[in-house]
Amino acid sequence: MYRGRGSTSNERDQLAGPSNQAPSWPDDDEDIFNDVPMAPAIPDNRELNLFEEETTETPLEKLTRHWLNERFAPDILPAQEALLTNLLDHLRRQSEAVQLLRGDPSSSEEEHIRIMLVQTEVERVKFVVRSYVRTRLFKIERYARFITTNAEIQTRLTAAERDHASRHAKLTDQHFYLSVLQGLPEKQSHLDDTPLFVPPMVTEPDKSRPVFVHALKRCPRIRLPDGSTLEMEKGHMSLMPYSIVEQLLLRGEVELI
Amino acid sequence: MSDARQYGELATQLVMESRRSTQTDTLLKYSDSLVRSIIREQRDLEKAIDAIAIEGRAPPPAMLIIQTAINRNKRCLLAYHSHRVDRLRDMYWAVGGALPHILSNQDIRSKLSPHEVDYLRQYNSSVMEFRSEFSHELDITASITNPPKDLHVLVRVVKDCGMIETEIGSIDFQKGQRFMVRRADIEHLIVQGYLEEV
Repeated sequence: MYRGRGSTSNERDQLAGPSNQAPSWPDDDEDIFNDVPMAPAIPDNRELNLFEEETTETPLEKLTRHWLNERFAPDILPAQEALLTNLLDHLRRQSEAVQLLRGDPSSSEEEHIRIMLVQTEVERVKFVVRSYVRTRLFKIERYARFITTNAEIQTRLTAAERDHASRHAKLTDQHFYLSVLQGLPEKQSHLDDTPLFVPPMVTEPDKSRPVFVHALKRCPRIRLPDGSTLEMEKGHMSLMPYSIVEQLLLRGEVELI
Repeated sequence: MSDARQYGELATQLVMESRRSTQTDTLLKYSDSLVRSIIREQRDLEKAIDAIAIEGRAPPPAMLIIQTAINRNKRCLLAYHSHRVDRLRDMYWAVGGALPHILSNQDIRSKLSPHEVDYLRQYNSSVMEFRSEFSHELDITASITNPPKDLHVLVRVVKDCGMIETEIGSIDFQKGQRFMVRRADIEHLIVQGYLEEV
């Protein structure tokens, strides 16, 4: 899956491992890079994991799961600040190490290919982080006015996201005021009318939107809108309103697909 | 109101413009005159209400019609503006947050209202403030359409863009030349249409 400049297909086959594992490093540098376990310590214990209930997720797998959940959920999910900080720190250290090795004239040709693999992987992880951050930003801007009035949703945002939400709500209000409302008679110049038979002016997350869920483990019984109940086995997939699986999702028992 | 027209007819035209804009995926020129006419209609309607409302008596049925027209007009006005700023934000992100690139484009500029230009400027500074929360290595305004497959990319220069700092030193990009460069260094130039992937 990786194509590096100047590497023959033979070399590639030997070097490119599974995409979610960091390539191995020269032994003497080991302790610098392995400060945060980014890949399963012993890949061979995969077979053992088949019999266990829970398999360990690498930080990158976690991020990918949160990223997909965030992209499919109509609501804003809790921010993964610690995970993100960890990953970004790790990326920074990897980039620094890469710079160091690249500048070292004694690095061999083979090491240069490994460096390239690491750089590519770093770019790919950054892509996921960026997409995750931007997905949240999109929802935050969409629900900005709702966020400023709702304390519960604010707890799910980072401080920077909260600031952006209030800045954005203010900016939008100001734009509406300058373009429209200031020209209207005083009685009409509010942004929170609630006339009958008209949808509210503040956009809220629509939790009744259907989502595809995939059970990561055996889930407790849930009640569907028609009154029937459903007990999802591990691996079960279903389409249902977001509000029903919200709690399961927050506990990490299901993922959205 | 002088000419024979139904309440809310202008507002319908305004909303139709938004719909046309979505369907053709283009930003249309800001309808300043239509917006002004509707605001004038709103003032007239408010006066009409004041005229028929008599203190201490039950409101006449006509009031309901007028009030509904007022509410509808107002929502249409706001919907139109909201639709436009959504488009503007999409446009902003599509060029990787390069605001000067949008504002220096005469064609786009002529379609914006002065308030919309202000809006974009302030939105830009708000996004920049948010971006500064991340380390400089993670530029959250970079593209999120296609995940990177290669570190390097072969590009053709479509428009001169002067000296650019890259990993292998500064390069003077001149029209017609081709370079093999690190994607992260020049991604924004591809997005803004200076370079083209070969």
